[in-house]
Amino acid sequence: MNFIRKIFSFLKPPHRWRLSVIILTGIFTGIFFLVLHISMAASYLSDDPKTCINCHVMYPHYASWDKGSHGHVATCADCHVPQDNFFRKYYVKATDGLRHATFFTMRWEPQTLMIKDAGINVVQENCIRCHIDLVDMVQLVEVTGRSAAKGEGKLCWDCHRETPHGTVKSASAAPHALVERLPSVMPSWLNIFLEQGDDNK
Amino acid sequence: MKTIRELTEKKPWLSWVLFFATVIIVFLIGLLASSIVERRSEAQLYFQMVSPIPEWEPDNAVWGENFPRQYESYKKTLDTNFRSKYAGSAMIDYLEQYPELVVMWAGYPFSRDYNQGRGHYYSVEDIHNTLRTTGPMPATCWTCKSTDVPRLMNEMGVGEFYAGSWESLGHEVTNPIGCQDCHDPETMNLRITRPALAEAFERQGINIEDATHQEMRSLVCAQCHVEYYFGEDNYLIFPWDKGYSAENMEEYKDEVGHVDWVHSISKAPMLKAQHPDYELYKTGIHAKRGVSCADCHLPYHREGGIKFTNHHLMSPLDNIEATCQVCHRESEATLIADVYERQDKISELRRVVEKNLAQLHIEAGKAWDAGAKEEEMQEVLTLIRHAQWRWDWVAAANGYGIHSPNEALRVLGTSIHKSQEARILLTTIFHKYGLDYPIDMPDISTKAKAQEFIGLDMEEQRRKQKDFEENTLPQWLGAK
Repeated sequence: MNFIRKIFSFLKPPHRWRLSVIILTGIFTGIFFLVLHISMAASYLSDDPKTCINCHVMYPHYASWDKGSHGHVATCADCHVPQDNFFRKYYVKATDGLRHATFFTMRWEPQTLMIKDAGINVVQENCIRCHIDLVDMVQLVEVTGRSAAKGEGKLCWDCHRETPHGTVKSASAAPHALVERLPSVMPSWLNIFLEQGDDNK
Repeated sequence: MKTIRELTEKKPWLSWVLFFATVIIVFLIGLLASSIVERRSEAQLYFQMVSPIPEWEPDNAVWGENFPRQYESYKKTLDTNFRSKYAGSAMIDYLEQYPELVVMWAGYPFSRDYNQGRGHYYSVEDIHNTLRTTGPMPATCWTCKSTDVPRLMNEMGVGEFYAGSWESLGHEVTNPIGCQDCHDPETMNLRITRPALAEAFERQGINIEDATHQEMRSLVCAQCHVEYYFGEDNYLIFPWDKGYSAENMEEYKDEVGHVDWVHSISKAPMLKAQHPDYELYKTGIHAKRGVSCADCHLPYHREGGIKFTNHHLMSPLDNIEATCQVCHRESEATLIADVYERQDKISELRRVVEKNLAQLHIEAGKAWDAGAKEEEMQEVLTLIRHAQWRWDWVAAANGYGIHSPNEALRVLGTSIHKSQEARILLTTIFHKYGLDYPIDMPDISTKAKAQEFIGLDMEEQRRKQKDFEENTLPQWLGAK
């Protein structure tokens, strides 16, 4: 407690600054919450596939998943995020999320997304996790992303190459697919209020 | 521990550091927020006609006002930096690279000048610059060079357009290949603006109006990237009535008795293939699977929330991620290696044919010199005509055979067969007239040496071109 008090008194601004510091901190915090709100930051903690289309770069992948065989039985996270333990799951979510956010903000995203080595490991693990009944009697159960990279065994989708995202895979493949659109940033009561204002004119 | 107040009282600059650090952080966060908002809204703005485009508008910039993304990407055809192993957008002097071609085209303007073409943006400029256009030429040569052509055909009539002289329309044709060649100005739908393609389809009983959108994404290219010849009154004709293969078109041209020129050394009645890109592509696996020209050469592109066609017409090898990788999940290096592996094999056979044919023309020339009679040479000359046509059918097509590697290799194989048949016949003629075999080959190791050997006065050609550039060209360009 003493330690926290020390830090607080260290950071305490000069008296003359008080007003401006309060305002600045307010601006900072306000913008911070705004960003949290419009980026729907809390949704990233969930496994809801709609979270993945917060970013429209994912529309084609969402559409092909939704209409494909896996759409009824598995979510994005079921395949693309480790499901074996809590810490690994959120570690992968955090690193993937930060990389994706950086790439998309900087407009570095390529026209065709290609899965990275780390992603290959996770997806291969998850194929086996669900389809264990099919492969546990044969050597396929031992194939991992790392072993396949060394030429020992083939990945599931080396043969099942159209599962679940289809033949044609690029950012342009289905950008206007009928996927659920994002909710409005504005709260609904404010929208209604503004529309009424328009009517009065 | 000192408070921040004490610290800043001692070092006043520290408060400024704190202040600016806060500003920068807030600014960056604001940037992120605005980016999110902007990228959400851009998906909603797409097709907006700012200023309507008049029918037959040839100026690409006018179209570009409405379609900035398409226009900006089209303008990238100005770029000449990409060079693949065999082609690309850079200008390559093919006569310097393969000097045998000079001998193969002796007596024909291609022996003066033949380059790997640059992008569409240069279509008018490059035809002004080439040494092949120094002689009198028909207006038909303009047909595929400019967006002014549909306008002129509409004003003059198609037959009247073809019947004129190249020189008479020089001042009218100034805009390079562009928007109007493929698009309807009102709806932006793809449309056919060159009658030759529609006419060729009609003769086969196909109505081009029935084409699907995916077929149109190849057919608009097939208005020009095809084999053609000039018929009566220089009317532009696609020789497809018997079929699209090298053999089919050869038979057709034999039947109508078309001769592009008589070879100045071998006296063979030659054919010059144009660029049967569409015909070669049709035999390939991509065409069979329904992939159109545009899928690889004008790939779809995502810019944030907007999907549009990237109009930077170019080699897909310079944009693998938007072309090959959409279907093929291999790495860029692997895919490029696959293309080069096929092109290497095509190149190997092409070089065999080119050396064969150059030698064959010279050998036939020797036979004439020794007094060989026309009836003795007849069969040899027909074989030369066919062998070179088949080579050209592959070589003149863009893409160095990759549009259909199997068919390219097959046709080159028949070309080698025909040229060797001709040489077997020639040895009997050589024997009859007491000529030694093999002959001493002249030095044709460079373009200049080969041009000297065929007796081409390049100085004269350059002088004519300079005269054109100084006296005629400024008038043409100044007219608009």
